[in-house]
Amino acid sequence: MIIPLLKVTNLSKSYDNIVGCKNISMSLYPGEVLGIVGESGSGKTTLINCLSGNLEPDRGKIIFNTNNKETDFLNISESEKRKFIRTDLAFVHQNPRDGLRLNVSAGGNIGEKLMSVGYRHYGNIRSLATKWMNKVEIDKSRIDDLPITFSGGMLQRLQIAKNLITSPNVIFMDEPTGGLDVSVQARVLDLIRSLVNELNLTVIIVSHDLAVIRLLADKMIVMKNGTVIESGLSDQVLEDPQQEYTQLLVSSVLHV
Amino acid sequence: MIEVKKVNKSFTLFNQNNAKITVFKNLNFEVNPGEIVALKGPSGIGKSSILKMIYGSYIIDKGAIIINNKNIATLSAQEILKLRKTSIGYVSQFLKVIPRISALDVIMEPLLNSGDTKNNAYKKSIKLLKDLNIEKNLWHLSPLTFSGGEQQRINIARGFIKDLPYLLLDEPTASLDSRNRDIIINLIKAKSNRGVSIIGIFHDEYSRKKLNVREIDLNIETKH
Repeated sequence: MIIPLLKVTNLSKSYDNIVGCKNISMSLYPGEVLGIVGESGSGKTTLINCLSGNLEPDRGKIIFNTNNKETDFLNISESEKRKFIRTDLAFVHQNPRDGLRLNVSAGGNIGEKLMSVGYRHYGNIRSLATKWMNKVEIDKSRIDDLPITFSGGMLQRLQIAKNLITSPNVIFMDEPTGGLDVSVQARVLDLIRSLVNELNLTVIIVSHDLAVIRLLADKMIVMKNGTVIESGLSDQVLEDPQQEYTQLLVSSVLHV
Repeated sequence: MIEVKKVNKSFTLFNQNNAKITVFKNLNFEVNPGEIVALKGPSGIGKSSILKMIYGSYIIDKGAIIINNKNIATLSAQEILKLRKTSIGYVSQFLKVIPRISALDVIMEPLLNSGDTKNNAYKKSIKLLKDLNIEKNLWHLSPLTFSGGEQQRINIARGFIKDLPYLLLDEPTASLDSRNRDIIINLIKAKSNRGVSIIGIFHDEYSRKKLNVREIDLNIETKH
């Protein structure tokens, strides 16, 4: 019996009297990619913000099982929580400018992340940073350049490198290809997918693009008005949706 | 062995006046190891649906589909993922891949995902590409730029690269010239000789004859 890496039970979060997400329960197993879809305001971002520690939910349980250790995420001290977020979780923002420091060099952005989990040796940090620049297909000669000189696609790849370099156990991605040109999207998608396969990453990805979910996610959940209305294997939910809203969502996709 | 037992399947189209389409009522058949079963019937009768139900892409209303002593209908998502990885190969009608990934990488991926070494996966994939008569100058290109027949062979290669006990084939010989069709037929035969249970949709009489299939006529099976 495999223990889920993440187990969520009855998670709820409201903003005053507006429902963010309500009674969410789900499990994620090591190496799985979970897609979250739903219209704007359906609670996707609220959910991953609660799971990644950016928001405090009102009710519910979040249990992580990483490195053979159980972490009751909502019942640990603030310092333990910060440490856990630093070492075990990563968050890739839709806008790479939210996840990077633009006045610090590309290598510095990656190096900072390494230092936050205890790396001290400058040579090691620089060689790891160079290796990861290469992994995300950014020329290593750009390591000392400021991110403001990078294109949108390069910035997103840099943000991915920064997030993955410390081998986090769960990676959250909020519309990682959302702000990119279509041609650049394919490249970032391909990169995410090959890294997921190569490093056996566990990922929770929010996207309104069903094609992105289809290509990246093993499982998916469909959200509406803050609740999960359908969940299952991605191909099953997309090919044989059981709920009216999911059918509407799937049938609304334009095919080129 | 694959057992399809008393299966009912319907689709309810909520956004089209809740129209209910019944596809199968009390569908029963089995596929033994080494056997090749061909699903027969006019288009729209549910041939591809059967493959998708067995693969877990379609949810069944009633009944059971037993593979490896496990009932697909009652497995959790992660259990189905695991069963697919270890046991079921599925060759869909069309190749679905991300742009930019090379044909070679597309074929190697299932092996790498199961923990095979890069070197091993590379060797096996190269051999299969050669067997499938794909020209060497295409190996490192994205198959999305290939012709229909070439794409189909890449799709087959991806489904055949691992040694899995069950294979689901959705028109594997469509859009192939006679020479390449014979190559695919021989690959399918080789799988069958190794004891693989195979269910396929074969549009042409020639392939069905050559493969010595047992036909399941859905016109008869689904009369209700």
